Amino acid sequence: MARIYGIDLGTTNSLIAVMDGEAARVLADPKTGATILPSVVAIAPEGEVYVGDQAIEVEPRLALKNDGVIHATGFSGGDMGAVIRSVKRYMGLGSSEIAPADQARYTFADLTGPVVRFQVARRAYTASQISAEILRALKQRAETALPSEKVERVVITVPAYFNDGQRQATKDAGRLAGLEVVRLVNEPTAASLAYGLQKLTEGRVAVYDFGGGTFDISILNVKGGVFEVLSTNGDTHLGGDDIDAALVNWFLADLPESIRTERHIWNSARRIAEDAKQKLSSAEQTELILEIPPDLSLREKLTRTHLEELAKPFIARTLERCRLALKDAKLEPPQIDAVVLVGGSTRMPMVRREVARMFGREPLCSINPDEVVALGAAVQAGVLMGTQRDMLLLDVVPLSLGIETVGGVMERIIHRNTTIPTSVTEMFTTAVDNQTHVDVHVLQGEREMAKDSRSLARFKLGPLEGQPAGYPKIAVTFLIDANGILNVTARDERTGREHSVDIKPSYGLTDDEIEKMLEEAIDLGEQDLEERLLIVARNDAHQILAALSKQLAEWGHLVSADERAAVERLAGRLAEAEKGTDRELIAKLVEDLNAATTPFAERIMDAAIKQALEKKSVEELS
Amino acid sequence: MICASCDSPLPVPADLDCFSALGFPRRLTIDTDALETSYHELGRKIHPDRFASSAPNVRALSLSGTALLTRSYRTLRDPVSRGLYWLELKGEKLAENNKNVPPDLAETVFEVQEQLSDLRDASGDAAIELRSEVEQRRVEVSSAMEELGAQLARNFSRWDASTSSNGGNDNRNLVAELKAILSKIAYLRTLLRDIDRGLETLRAA
Repeated sequence: MARIYGIDLGTTNSLIAVMDGEAARVLADPKTGATILPSVVAIAPEGEVYVGDQAIEVEPRLALKNDGVIHATGFSGGDMGAVIRSVKRYMGLGSSEIAPADQARYTFADLTGPVVRFQVARRAYTASQISAEILRALKQRAETALPSEKVERVVITVPAYFNDGQRQATKDAGRLAGLEVVRLVNEPTAASLAYGLQKLTEGRVAVYDFGGGTFDISILNVKGGVFEVLSTNGDTHLGGDDIDAALVNWFLADLPESIRTERHIWNSARRIAEDAKQKLSSAEQTELILEIPPDLSLREKLTRTHLEELAKPFIARTLERCRLALKDAKLEPPQIDAVVLVGGSTRMPMVRREVARMFGREPLCSINPDEVVALGAAVQAGVLMGTQRDMLLLDVVPLSLGIETVGGVMERIIHRNTTIPTSVTEMFTTAVDNQTHVDVHVLQGEREMAKDSRSLARFKLGPLEGQPAGYPKIAVTFLIDANGILNVTARDERTGREHSVDIKPSYGLTDDEIEKMLEEAIDLGEQDLEERLLIVARNDAHQILAALSKQLAEWGHLVSADERAAVERLAGRLAEAEKGTDRELIAKLVEDLNAATTPFAERIMDAAIKQALEKKSVEELS
Repeated sequence: MICASCDSPLPVPADLDCFSALGFPRRLTIDTDALETSYHELGRKIHPDRFASSAPNVRALSLSGTALLTRSYRTLRDPVSRGLYWLELKGEKLAENNKNVPPDLAETVFEVQEQLSDLRDASGDAAIELRSEVEQRRVEVSSAMEELGAQLARNFSRWDASTSSNGGNDNRNLVAELKAILSKIAYLRTLLRDIDRGLETLRAA
């Protein structure tokens, strides 16, 4: 039986892990040794896809190029190709739900349909398709790391507070990547499995999971290998990204709106802000510097105290969610035996401090907060393969499920925090004679009125011709499976006949649409991995050769004759190799050339900065 | 639900009740720790995690079996839902006669609703005072709930004793008593929820 792999498909970073005997292990990129794959996807105008660091390379931003001048660079959207970050925030969302700030950042195909689609050149991509690229990259990484293995079956983690549509979109992404998603596991639950495998936690455990884009709190009872979730709460649009955005808005506050939201400027500022935030986890003070061509220079000092003021409202929101989860679990903070920190945002000292204060105890973070979810996913994969037989995971549904009744009221049929899998059977009948069908509208959420809840799906029961009102008796079973996804079956109690239920999801993709995407993917995308990699290698070669000739033309005086001879020799070989199809040779020569040019590239960079500064100070004086 | 010889999930019989599903006799008094142990033991055997690589029909049986097991556990774990379920098994429903406020609770219910409505309109010092009154009410209602819980437990053990001595004949008085306690609890639960909502809205504002 094929091994099952555990995948953490995160907002900021993604990882793949596997059980290695009795221990879970994250698989690193064999080339770089990196365990983390940044969840960034770049799509070139012709449709080539880059994931991770390669995608970050082409993200629109302001960069000091080898020619010593700051340029707007990267795929700036639309016809120029696009770079999509934090795609998880768009999973399961309808186009009408796109926030205005996001509309400035990306080009969307339309703003009304049931599924968000990013427009890149002539094609439109759903969030599931983009996530599928991240999954493909992880699959490829694992298969390179373990050459004798094929990655076909996976466990993927999702935020505990993901609704049905967001879960479905994640499953769709797996399918689009050619993977069988054996199970979706909630991220905080996965983290508790990783801690539980090492017997680090027992009793009542609170998992505080504050990631790049989502926040979850889960309260579990861990006892004798049984991991029973008592309650969960969260916010699927609350994470480190929001703190970065607040920081960017503060940093760029003096700029007019149109300039502040310009993609290159915003992205550069975001990188600077993220960097500053990370530095302030250990330092007390840092400085944010951004040069905007032609001659604007932003420079702001930032103390940790100030950062904490900016972050405070977001952290307060996480604490409110913790209180709600405790209330649902019918527990008070002192009754919690252990608090576990998960997610990159828990590196902020303020988060640790506030969590410790809320629960009255020091939180645990002995397992790397970036890796713990992936490790837990691997443990769950072990459970599913039957190698971890003593473990039993009992998770819950995060949001109540209901149906719309007379007067637009939502009648709850499955309450939040009910252990899954669970099912409820409801009886339906007709209100008037000869009614041909019964419409059922399924909702998810905690609000009283249907209009305030999130529409999950609609379906029709029938046909039921020629019957008096109230006569038909149709038993509809709503079953939430172990993935937290709704399945509906219906049975006519009078005839005993099973009704087919054709569910139309309110948001997300229909099965037909996914089939179509899969066919297209086979036609276009899968031209062959080799071919795609060759294109990538050639692009790299092309880029470095172009940059080199520009450097030598403008800054030749900074390069010694020996250096020049060495790089020109290498450049000649690379130009030759680029015409061929040996991608490994191209990649090696690119690397060699990179190494050979580094010393003088640094000299050129220094000179360029000096020149830029001189120019500026002259302007300031005059 | 589980095949004794091969450990695979079996179709659930249509008339399987919550007690049988968890392997417990039909008694109202239940050792909840033993109930939990049984739930976990059966869960380990039938949970969909065990059948991830099985045929679709086996997976479907595991799924529906686990859903039933969980529902049974949830029903029996809580004494109130257990009592309600017990009445249902006897063909007695609480819903119909639950429209009227139990007479001895009427005054409390009325007063609390009054206080909550005052609390909504109050501000400043008056709000602070009302708030502490409502919080005091909450304590009273909670302790009334506890008292009712104890009554329920006494009713349960009398039921179990009478059922075994009468050879299973139901005692009409006990049915009436059980109904009365459960409907009071249902009322107080609603009241507590209203109090909590009132206090929460106040805190949010």
